[in-house]
Amino acid sequence: MLRSFRLLGALVLTIALAGALSACGSSSKSSSSGTATVTNLMGTAPDFLDPGLGYTTQAAEADWISYTGLLTYAHANGEAGTKLIPGVAQSLPTISPDGKTYTFTLRKGLLYSNGVAVKAGDFAYSLERSIKLNWGGKSFFTENIVGAEAFDKGTAKTISGIKTDELTEQITVSLTAPYGAFANVLAFPSAALVPTGTAMSNLSNKPPPGVGPYEITNVVPNQSFSVVKNPNWAKDEIPGIPAGHVNINAKIDTNTQSEAQQVLNNSADVFDWADTLPASLLASIESQASERYAKEPTVSVFYFFLNTKIKPFNNQQVREAVAYALDRRALSRLDSGFMTPACFFLPVGMIGHPKGSCPYGDPSAAPNLTKAKQLIQASGLAGTSVTVWGETRQPRREYVDYFASVLNAIGLKATEKIIADATYFPTIGNVKLNPQAGFADWNQDFPDPSDFYLLVNAKSIQPTNNQNFSQVEDPHIQSELAVLNKVPSTNLQSVAKRWEELDEYVAKKGYVSVYGYEDVPKFFSTRLNFGAAIFHPVYGNDWTSWQLK
Amino acid sequence: MGTFVVRRLASMLAVMFAISLLTFLIFQAIPNGDPALRLAGRLATAQQIEDVRKQWGFDKPIYVQYVKTMEKVFNGEVISYSQQQNVESEIWRDLPVTVSLALGAGVLFLLFGILFGLLSAVHAGRFTDRALTMLAMFGISMPAFFLAAVMEYYLSYKAGIFPIGGYVSLASDPWEWFTHLVLPWVSLAILYVGIYSRVLRSNTLDTLGEDFVRTARAKGLSERRVLVRHVLRNSLIPIVTLWGLDLAALFGGGALLIETVFNLHGVGQYAAESIGRLDVPPILVITMLTAFFVVALSALTDIVYALLDPRIRLN
Repeated sequence: MLRSFRLLGALVLTIALAGALSACGSSSKSSSSGTATVTNLMGTAPDFLDPGLGYTTQAAEADWISYTGLLTYAHANGEAGTKLIPGVAQSLPTISPDGKTYTFTLRKGLLYSNGVAVKAGDFAYSLERSIKLNWGGKSFFTENIVGAEAFDKGTAKTISGIKTDELTEQITVSLTAPYGAFANVLAFPSAALVPTGTAMSNLSNKPPPGVGPYEITNVVPNQSFSVVKNPNWAKDEIPGIPAGHVNINAKIDTNTQSEAQQVLNNSADVFDWADTLPASLLASIESQASERYAKEPTVSVFYFFLNTKIKPFNNQQVREAVAYALDRRALSRLDSGFMTPACFFLPVGMIGHPKGSCPYGDPSAAPNLTKAKQLIQASGLAGTSVTVWGETRQPRREYVDYFASVLNAIGLKATEKIIADATYFPTIGNVKLNPQAGFADWNQDFPDPSDFYLLVNAKSIQPTNNQNFSQVEDPHIQSELAVLNKVPSTNLQSVAKRWEELDEYVAKKGYVSVYGYEDVPKFFSTRLNFGAAIFHPVYGNDWTSWQLK
Repeated sequence: MGTFVVRRLASMLAVMFAISLLTFLIFQAIPNGDPALRLAGRLATAQQIEDVRKQWGFDKPIYVQYVKTMEKVFNGEVISYSQQQNVESEIWRDLPVTVSLALGAGVLFLLFGILFGLLSAVHAGRFTDRALTMLAMFGISMPAFFLAAVMEYYLSYKAGIFPIGGYVSLASDPWEWFTHLVLPWVSLAILYVGIYSRVLRSNTLDTLGEDFVRTARAKGLSERRVLVRHVLRNSLIPIVTLWGLDLAALFGGGALLIETVFNLHGVGQYAAESIGRLDVPPILVITMLTAFFVVALSALTDIVYALLDPRIRLN
C-alpha cells in the first residue's frame, strides 16, 4: 500500500513538474537561410499537393505560388485580384476572331525550382499529366481543347489541339468551340507547368518542381508541409508575382478550437481562412485581437435548390413564396454572422452581380410571411409534401432545419433527409432520385460568371453528378448563355450589364433560393503585418504577401 | 503453450477475415456511396466517372473487389481512395503516436484504478470510499472529449502550462513528447480510472469475505500482506481482462476523440477522417489492426491469468 502511495506521489509530482516547466512553443523561428518562418494552421489537409491533382482551396493556396501556368492572377485584394496577368507566357493570349485559338509565347530564361529550364513542350505534357491523373476539374480541359477527350480515353497519345514550337517557344491551343473562360482555365494550378517526364503518378508526398516564388517541401501527408522560397526564383522574374517574404510551415490541426486558440495566443501565426472560427471564441477574438482579425467576403453563393421539374416548385408562385418567406438574417446568424444576406445568384465581387434591389423584399430585412402564405394558397399547392435534403456538417444541417421549418410555416409539408457529407452531392446529383429541394453552395473556380451559371445551365443536367440541382431548363437563360459564355474573360466588362440582367431574371424566376454569400476569417498572430497581407478573391490568403512586422 | 499459440493464431485469422468482410460489405451497402463519383470530382462527366470506375476496378463484382483489396492489404500496396496514399505507410507513421497515448494512459488508469479501487474497498462506507465513489462517477459520466477540451482550454490556452495540442516524437525530444501527452493521457485515463476502481472495489469486497482471507489473517499475516498478496492478486483477474481489451481497442485507434481534440495525428484521428470521407481502404486496415490487437492482447491476458492464478492453465 505504502509503495502505491509513493508511486502515486511520484506520478503527481512528475505531472506537476511537467506542467510547471513546459512553456508554450513559440513560432518565432528562422530557417538556416535567415528567412523567417511562420506557422499556418489548416483545419483540413490539402486533397493533393501535386498540382496535377490538387483541387481544394487548401491545395490551391500552396500550389498557386509554387506552380505558375501560362496565365495567373494579379496578387491583389478584391476585384483587382481577379485580373488575369501573364504567368510563364510573355503576354496575355492572342485570341483568334472565332474565339477558338489561343496563342502564347513562353518567357525566356525561366527555370524550374530544380534548376531545369522551362520549355514550351512542358505545357502540353503538364495538361496531359493532369488529365491522366484524373484531376477533379479535368472536364475543363477535355470538354474544350481539341483532342483532349481522345487523349483522356486513350485513343490518342497526345492532345492534338496543343501545338508547341521549341524554337520559337510558341504555344497554340485550339478549342472545340469558343469558351470565354478558357483563359481562366489556363490559370488553374493544374494547368501550371511541370517538367516533361515528371512521373504520371500522384507526387503529393514529394511535389514536382514548378515555376514560382515558392516550392513545397517536407510533406508529411495529412500532418504538415513546408512552403519555402524557391532558390531558382529571381526577384521580379515574372512581373506581378512577388518573391515573398517568409517561409511557411503549414500544420494540419483538425480541431478548429485549438487552431484558433493557438493564433489568439500567438503560438501559431495564421488561422486558415477556409476554417470556421468556433463561436465560443469569436467574442474573445473580436475583443482581444480586433487589430489582427477581419471578416473577408468570398465569391461564393449559398442557396436552396428548388426542383423546377416537379411539384410544388414547378410553380412560379410557390418559388416566389419561398423567396418572400426566407429570413436571411436568421440563416446568417446560424453561421455566426459569417454570411451576408443576399438574393442574387452572382455574388458580390463577380462581374454581373446586379446593383438593383431584390425582387422579393430586402434580404437584410424581416421576411414577408403573410405574402408567402397567400402565394401558397393561390398556387393551390398548400399541403404538398416536400423532402428537403441536407448534409450533416454544421451549420449546413441547421440551414436545412430552418428551411424545412419555413416551408411548413407557409403551408407546405416539409420533411428532412440528412445524409453524410461525403455522399451528399453525389446523392442529390443523381437525377433519378429527383430531389425536390435542399442545400447547395458554390465557390468560384475562377472569376467568370459562367462558372456560376453552369449550375442553372440546362446543358449541365446529366444522370449522375448533375450540378443543375434545380433542373432549370429555361430558353431565355440558354440563349443568353450561348452568347455570354463565348465572351473572353479578358473582355468581360463589355457584357457586365447583360450578365446583370440575366441574373435579375433568374432571381425573379426564383429557380434557386439564394440566401447569402459567405464571409471567412482573416486572422493572424501579432507577429505578422496584418495590413500588408493580401486576401485574394480566388485563392484566399496570399502567402507571398505575409511578412513580419 | 504451442497449442495455445496455434489456437490463438487461428482465431485471429478468423476474426480478421470476418471483420474485414463485414467492413467491406457495410461500405458497399451505403446508399450513393459509389467511390467513383467522389474520385472523379464534382464536375466530372458521366463518361469520366465510368472511366474512374473501370480504372479502380469498381465495376467488378463485389467478391472480386474484396479479394483484390485484401491482396493489396497483405502486400502493403493498398491505396486510400481520397488522397491516394499508401494506407499502411500512413498507419505505420501514426502508430507510435497512438501507442504512446494508449500505453501512457493505460499505465495511468491501471495504477490509479487499482489504487482507488483498493482504497475504496478497504475504507468501504467511510468518507474515503464515498469521496472516491463520487470521483469515479465523475470520471465515468464525464465525456472524455469534453473533459479534454476543458483541460486544453484552461491548462493550455488560458494558463499556458501545457502546449496546445500536437505531438512531438519521443526520439526527437523526450521532454516535449511528455509535455504534449500529459493532458491526453489524463483526459483519456479519467474515464477508465472510474470504471476500474468500481470494478476492483466490488471484487475486493467479495474477496475480503472469502475463507482464505480469514485464514491468512488467522495465520497472523500483516494487513498489508493480506491485502496485496491474497486479496489484490485474486481481485485483479477481471481488471487484467479489461485492461488487455481496453488497451487493444486504444491501440487500434479507439481514442479517436482524444486524438482529434489534441490534434495528435494518431491512428484514431486517421480513422475518424477516413470515416468522414467514406474511404474504405484505411477503415478496412484499421479495423483489422484493431482485431489483431484485441486477439493478441487477449492472448497475453490469458498468460497473465495463469501467472496470477496457478489454478488457470493455458491449455
